[in-house]
Amino acid sequence: MADYGGSQHGIARTSRAQAQTADQRKLELDRIEKYRDLENQVRSYHAQGDYSPDVFQLTTRLLRLNPEYYTIWNVRRRSLISGLLSKPSHGSAPSRASQSSSPSPNITPSSANLSPSSSVAIQPSREVPTVGRTGTTADSCDSASPIKEHGEESTENEQQQQQQDLDLLISELRFTIPLLLEAPKCYWIWSHRSWVLQEAIGRLQRAAARRIWEEELGLVSKMLFKDRRNFHAWGYRRHVVDQLEGPTLGGISRVESEFEYTTQMIETDLSNFSAWHGRSKLIPRMLDERGADDEDRKAFLDEELGMINEALNVGPEDQSLWYYHQFLMLNLVSFVGRATIVPKFNLEERITYMSREIEGIKELLEDYNNIKLIYEALLDYTIMLCQLEERQPDASERADLVVWLQKLRELDPMRNGRWSDVARDYGLQEKITTPAAIKV
Amino acid sequence: MDSLSDTIWDAVICGTGLQQSLLALALSRSGKNILHIDPNEYYGGPEAAFSLQEAESWVASLSDPNSQNNASNGGVFRAASITKPEATSSALKFSRSYSLALSPQLIHSRSELLAQLVSSRAHRQIDFLAVGAFFIIKAPEDPDHKAVLTRIPSTREDVFLSKAIPVKAKRGLMKFLKFVVDYDSEPQTEAWQPHADAPLTEFLRKEFKMEAELQTYIVTLTLSLDGRISTRDGLAIIHRHLSSMGVFGPGFAAIYPKWGGISEIAQVACRACAVGGAVYMLGTGIKSMQTGYSAEMELELTNGVTVKTRRLVQTDESASKKVVVSRLVSIIDSPLNSLFAAVVEGAQKPAVAVIAFPSGSLKTSTGKTWEFPVYVFAHSSDTGECPVGQSILYLTTPSITDSKEVLEQAVQSFLGAVNREQVPHSVYQLYYEHLGGSAGSRTEGQVFNFPTASPSLSFNDSTLKVVREAWREVLGEAATGADYMVFQDREGAVDDEEMYD
Repeated sequence: MADYGGSQHGIARTSRAQAQTADQRKLELDRIEKYRDLENQVRSYHAQGDYSPDVFQLTTRLLRLNPEYYTIWNVRRRSLISGLLSKPSHGSAPSRASQSSSPSPNITPSSANLSPSSSVAIQPSREVPTVGRTGTTADSCDSASPIKEHGEESTENEQQQQQQDLDLLISELRFTIPLLLEAPKCYWIWSHRSWVLQEAIGRLQRAAARRIWEEELGLVSKMLFKDRRNFHAWGYRRHVVDQLEGPTLGGISRVESEFEYTTQMIETDLSNFSAWHGRSKLIPRMLDERGADDEDRKAFLDEELGMINEALNVGPEDQSLWYYHQFLMLNLVSFVGRATIVPKFNLEERITYMSREIEGIKELLEDYNNIKLIYEALLDYTIMLCQLEERQPDASERADLVVWLQKLRELDPMRNGRWSDVARDYGLQEKITTPAAIKV
Repeated sequence: MDSLSDTIWDAVICGTGLQQSLLALALSRSGKNILHIDPNEYYGGPEAAFSLQEAESWVASLSDPNSQNNASNGGVFRAASITKPEATSSALKFSRSYSLALSPQLIHSRSELLAQLVSSRAHRQIDFLAVGAFFIIKAPEDPDHKAVLTRIPSTREDVFLSKAIPVKAKRGLMKFLKFVVDYDSEPQTEAWQPHADAPLTEFLRKEFKMEAELQTYIVTLTLSLDGRISTRDGLAIIHRHLSSMGVFGPGFAAIYPKWGGISEIAQVACRACAVGGAVYMLGTGIKSMQTGYSAEMELELTNGVTVKTRRLVQTDESASKKVVVSRLVSIIDSPLNSLFAAVVEGAQKPAVAVIAFPSGSLKTSTGKTWEFPVYVFAHSSDTGECPVGQSILYLTTPSITDSKEVLEQAVQSFLGAVNREQVPHSVYQLYYEHLGGSAGSRTEGQVFNFPTASPSLSFNDSTLKVVREAWREVLGEAATGADYMVFQDREGAVDDEEMYD
C-alpha cells in the first residue's frame, strides 16, 4: 500500500491534499466497504468462537490491510492453535521435555521494549485455555495420555505432524515480513513473531527450532543494517543469541561470531554506542572460551588499544569511542574482584600502559585542540595513573592539569563546578582563571 | 504526413540528447504541440548508448562528409576507430547484448537532476545502480611488479580503515573533510576564497600541509579531467560528493542509471513526452529554415515535409568547441568482481567503480611523462551494458598527441593490476575524441540554441539551468506560476489495488 505510515482502516494517514476525482473517491469508498465487510466477517466468526481455517484466511487478508488490529492477531493465533497446528496428543515434542529444566524463555525486560504489549496481546487468550507461555496446550488439560518421555522415537505420524507444523510456522514468519517492512515498529507484528518462535521451541525438533531462531538472527541483522543504532534491536539480538546459546536449542557459544559482528558494525560506522558496548560485554567470556593465556591476553589488549586509538585518531569528538577507551583503561586500573582482560599484569606493566596511552592522547592535541573529550580523558587518566601509583601528581603533571582544566572551563563551562573541584583537590585553584569571554 | 504540416507546432525540438530530452520531459504535461525529431536513428544524441552494430555505423558516419555527425558539419565526435583483436573475437556476444555509453557520467545523490526526476515522477522508470569506491592506481616501485589499486577514503570510516595513510596525515585529512562539509560558510570561506582560482592542489598543500599522495586522492574525487581544477570548483564538487555519501544507502555517493546511463534518462524523458502527446521522429533533421515572416517559422525537414512552429530548440552546432577529450571504451572478458564488492555487508552491490591513474603516472612509448590523469570507469554487467561474465572500461583523458596510445597502455596496466594471477583481456576497443564546451545558450529570434555540453565525468547541475531557460522560452507567459518539473503520477501508475481483491 502506498504511503503506509500507520493507517486507520486502510486509509493512508498522509492524506492526499489535492482534490480527488470522482473516480478516485469512488475507489476509496469501495475499498472502505471491502475492508468493513472483511472485518465484520472475522468478528462474527470470533463472536461464535469459530476459529476454523476459513477464519484464518480472512485474518490473512485483514491483517495485510491493517496489521495494527491486534484483536485479529489474537484470532489468528487461536485459529492456528485450535486447528492448523497439530495437537500433540501423545504429549510433548522432544525439545519441550527439556524446557522444564530451563528457565521459561520469557522475553527479558531489555527486549520487552520491542513488544511491551505482548503480554497484553496474549492475555485475552488466557481466559480460554489456549497456549500460554510455557507451551501447554488446550488439549493437555483433557488429555489423559502420559507425557512422552524424552528420547523415545517419534512415530511417522508425529514426524509428519512436525513437518506440517514447521511449514506452518515458517509460513507465519514469512507472512509478517512484508508487514514489517511497511511498519517496522508495529508491536503486534513483533509479538506475533515472538509467539511463533516460542511455538517453534514447543513443537519442533531441536534442529528445526534452532534453524528458525537462526533465521531470526538474520532478520535482526537486517534491522540493524537499516538502523545501526537501534538499541531495541541490539537488545532483541541479545535475546535471540541467548536462546540460541541456551540448552533449549542445544546451542553452542556464538561469542566469536557476535564479536566479529560488532567489528563489522563499527567498521561501517564508528559512532555506535551499542556496538562498542556489546563488544565490551563479550570480551571476558570470549577470552575464557579461547583459553587465552597471559601472552594471548596481552596481545588482545594491544590489538584493542590499537583499534580504538586509530578510531580516536579520526573521530576524537565521538563519545562512544572514549567510552570504549575508558573500558580498556579500567581493565588496567580497576581489576580487583572482576574479570578483566589482563588480570595477571603486574603494577609496572599497568603503569607503562597507562603512561603510554596518556602520551598517545597528548599527540591528538597537535591537530585537535578544541575537543573537550580529549582534555577530559587526559585529566581522568592522569588522576587514575597517580592513584595507581599511590602518589600525587608531579610538577610537570600539575602544569599539564592547569592547561587542561583551563581548556575545559572554556569548552565545557556547564561543568565548571566539577573543574573547580578537581582544581581544588590538587591545590591548583589559583592557577585557573575564569575566561574573560566564554567562547560559544 | 499531412497532419505534420497542418499543425502549428508550439515547439520543434531537434536532437534527443540529454538537454533536449529533459526539456521534453518538462513540457510533457503542458498540453503544447511538440514535435521532437533527431537526425540520428537512435535516441540520446551525444549521450547515446550503442549496440556493437550501432557503434560500427556511428564510426562510419563520422568519416562520412555528408553525415550530420561528421565534425565538419557540427558533430561533436571525431577520429573514431574500432579494434577487435583476432585472438579473442569469439568472446564477443551478439551485438544487442552491449550498450556502450558515449558519455558515461555518474550522478551524485544530491544532484538536482535526481530531485527533478523524482518530482516529475520519471524516476519510476529508471533503475538506479550504486557507484562504488574510487581508487587510485599506484605505479609499483619495482617495474617488474604490477601496479596496485588503493581505495580513496572519503568518509571517517574509510580513513579509519585505510592502511595506506600515516597516523598524522589521517588527522590532516579528517580536518580537510570537516572543512569541506562547511566550506561555504564562515570562517571557511575566508580561508579559501583568496585562493579561489588557484589550483586545488596548491590550496591543499599550503593550507592543509597535505603531501602529494593525499592531494592526489582529493583531486581524483573531483574527477578533474586535467587534474588542475580550481579551488573554487574543486571544493564545490567534493562538498557535493561528501554530502551525497550515504544518501541512498551506506557506502556510496553517486548513482548510475541502468541500461546506458544518461541515455536511459534521455529515453525515459522522451517517452514521458510522447505519452503527453508529443510526436517523435527519428532519422529526421532540419534541411532549412525560414523565419521572420510571421509568428511561426517554417522548417523544411529532411524527409521533405515542411512544418510551421513557434519555436525551434536545437543544439548550437556552429559554436566553437574548446575541450577535447580522448575516450576509449574497452570490453573485458572478465567480470572484474574485486572492483564491485559491496562496501558494507548487506549494502547494494555497486555496478560502477572509478579508478584514476594520477597525473604523471603513465609514460608514452617515447618515454614522455603523461601529465594528465587517466580516469577509468569500470562497469559491471549489472549495468546491462554488457553480458554477464564481462565488464566494460571507459577511459578518458585530455586529447593531445599520443593520447590514444596512452589510453591503450592504461587498459593493459589496469588489467594487470586488477587480477595479477589471471590477467583479463580486452576483446574490443572503441576509440574516439569528444569535443565540447561552448559558452552558454544562445537565442536568435525564435530559435533557442542549447550549448554543446562539456564532456564531464560527473553530471553538472548547471546543465539544468539551460533546460529551464528553454522551457520558459517555449511556454512564454504560461511559464510564470507554473511548477517546473513537478508532476503527479499518471492514474494507474502506482498499483495498490490487489490487496483489496
